[in-house]
Amino acid sequence: MTEKDFELAGIRTVEEQPLRAKRKWYKEYPVVSMLFLGIMIVECFFCEQIMTVNPTYMDLEHCNVAPGRKFLFGTDTLGRDIFSMIWYGGRVSLLIGFVATAISTAIGVLFGAVSGVASPRADAFLMRAVEIVLSIPNLLMIVLLQAVLGGAGVIGISIVIGITGWMSIAKVVRTEVRQIRNSEYVIASKCMGGSFWHILWRHFLPNFWPSIMFMVVMNVRTAIVAESTLSFMGIGLPLEIVSWGSMLALSQQALMTGSWWMILIPGCFLIVTLMCVTDIGNSLRRDSNQRQSNL
Amino acid sequence: MMHRRAELLIYCIKKILSFVISIVFLSLVVFYISRWAPGDPLVSYYGDRVEKMSPEEREWAEERLGLNDPVYVQYIRWAQNALHGSFGISYKYKTDVTEVIGGRIGNTLLLGGIGFLLIFLLAPVVGILCVWYENKLPDKMISRVGTISSCIPEFWFSLVLILVFSVIFKILPGSGAYDIGKSNDVLSRIRHLILPLAVVVISHIWYYAYMVRNKLLEEVRADYVLLAKAKGLSRSRILLGHCLRNVMPSYISIMAISIPHILGGTYIVETVFSYPGIGTLAYESARYKDYNLLMLVCILSGVVVIFCNIIGQAINERIDPRIKAEKTGEALEVEVL
Repeated sequence: MTEKDFELAGIRTVEEQPLRAKRKWYKEYPVVSMLFLGIMIVECFFCEQIMTVNPTYMDLEHCNVAPGRKFLFGTDTLGRDIFSMIWYGGRVSLLIGFVATAISTAIGVLFGAVSGVASPRADAFLMRAVEIVLSIPNLLMIVLLQAVLGGAGVIGISIVIGITGWMSIAKVVRTEVRQIRNSEYVIASKCMGGSFWHILWRHFLPNFWPSIMFMVVMNVRTAIVAESTLSFMGIGLPLEIVSWGSMLALSQQALMTGSWWMILIPGCFLIVTLMCVTDIGNSLRRDSNQRQSNL
Repeated sequence: MMHRRAELLIYCIKKILSFVISIVFLSLVVFYISRWAPGDPLVSYYGDRVEKMSPEEREWAEERLGLNDPVYVQYIRWAQNALHGSFGISYKYKTDVTEVIGGRIGNTLLLGGIGFLLIFLLAPVVGILCVWYENKLPDKMISRVGTISSCIPEFWFSLVLILVFSVIFKILPGSGAYDIGKSNDVLSRIRHLILPLAVVVISHIWYYAYMVRNKLLEEVRADYVLLAKAKGLSRSRILLGHCLRNVMPSYISIMAISIPHILGGTYIVETVFSYPGIGTLAYESARYKDYNLLMLVCILSGVVVIFCNIIGQAINERIDPRIKAEKTGEALEVEVL
């Protein structure tokens, strides 16, 4: 057995534990991540004031220079300064992350709410449709939509990513709406002539918002990853529009010349951002393991 | 008894019907989207010659490939042929589509299959380790590393592995599925599989391990654990024999649903490693408007996805009759997220 030869099963190791020990304020929120993300956002959106080097300027005399005094993070194979590209690119990447999330959340909430209040038959039809859309591999879907919408711009790609990422939110919203659609306050509101929009905004949204909050934050992450993956593969943003993804699109050349800085530096910024977003998202989930383990 | 059997029959018929409807709908959607997309399918068939073609020649070429009919006529024709088992020829490879895919699907299944198996076996191990040392150093370390690993985009991870292992140290090959002319050499194939496999496994595993961990953490707080402990069972017996057993059913059904997720993850990895599989094919065919190829790739992926979904649902209903047929899908979906 264990190190003790006699043990009372079920006795708590800590006798009296206050149900919710008061936590320090800095433990309630992911301070470090928020700080990091905040700095990143400020830097990126004010990069014009801070960075004076034009990120698209191709300094052909200094192609593929390793990080050093003059070029802090080196230059890429086209002779662009990576340090300045990081901030300008971050602006585009973050913007796409937020815009795409806004689009996917809007579609997901609308679709879910409509499906939730619809008659069972219509609801079943709508949910089947969602399942079918889900069954198309995401990448293929994006490639197809990208081709339909044509030109790859910042807004265009946000729309494409937004359109392909709303399904899971719609499912949750629908379930939540179905649960509360027959509550007294909703019926009362309906009787007093509240429109669908009014009920959605004033009654449904406050109810399901906590449960989709986490997914919304995670969608920011998915969108940033999707943008960088697409741009890397050459079907997202073109090389001229600098983003963390399109910076990595040159990595095939970088692999050949062994210039690690072109791959590692944008990637690290990307990952740090993603980790901050994930951390913030995780803190939004309620912690279900308050009780002590029985094991 | 008869009643039971009839019920089962109806259940199966319902499932099959919804399967067929889904596939038809999927094919329609993909067909229409791909035809609406701008771009010239003739380029993939004739290459650069298209630009020098006269209008008459163009028309003749389109007529020959059946591209100038209205879309629904084309769809009906495609569906008729597909039902007879012929999916048309690939514009780019100029051979039967099934042949093109047949030559590649083995590679994807090898990568995706082994990857899936490794994830399936390793995720519970990682999860159990975390629960065993709950809130102690190993659990915290694993959780940290896991979160980081799930944040790394697959393509970037692949790039870094290529950079480290094949550019800097030159120990492992960074592209292809085998050395030139050695397609039957098992050793060469294994050497080419290591890096892509590592990416597939590492970028997915935490997702599932985390799920197992959370489920187990809930499970060890149940009252029967106390009882088992009072009976004098050892920690490992309780965790592995009782808790894990209770978690397994939902784990298996979720893994069934995530087969396509993991297979889909190989698409990106394949393109970075230029590994000749379905992923590179799907990407190529969508970009170069190789319609017939695109359709078959989409249908195949769709079949796998829908089939796995149904299997997952069925497993769940079997194991836990409390879950009604309609509720399963969404409950699982939320969980997987």
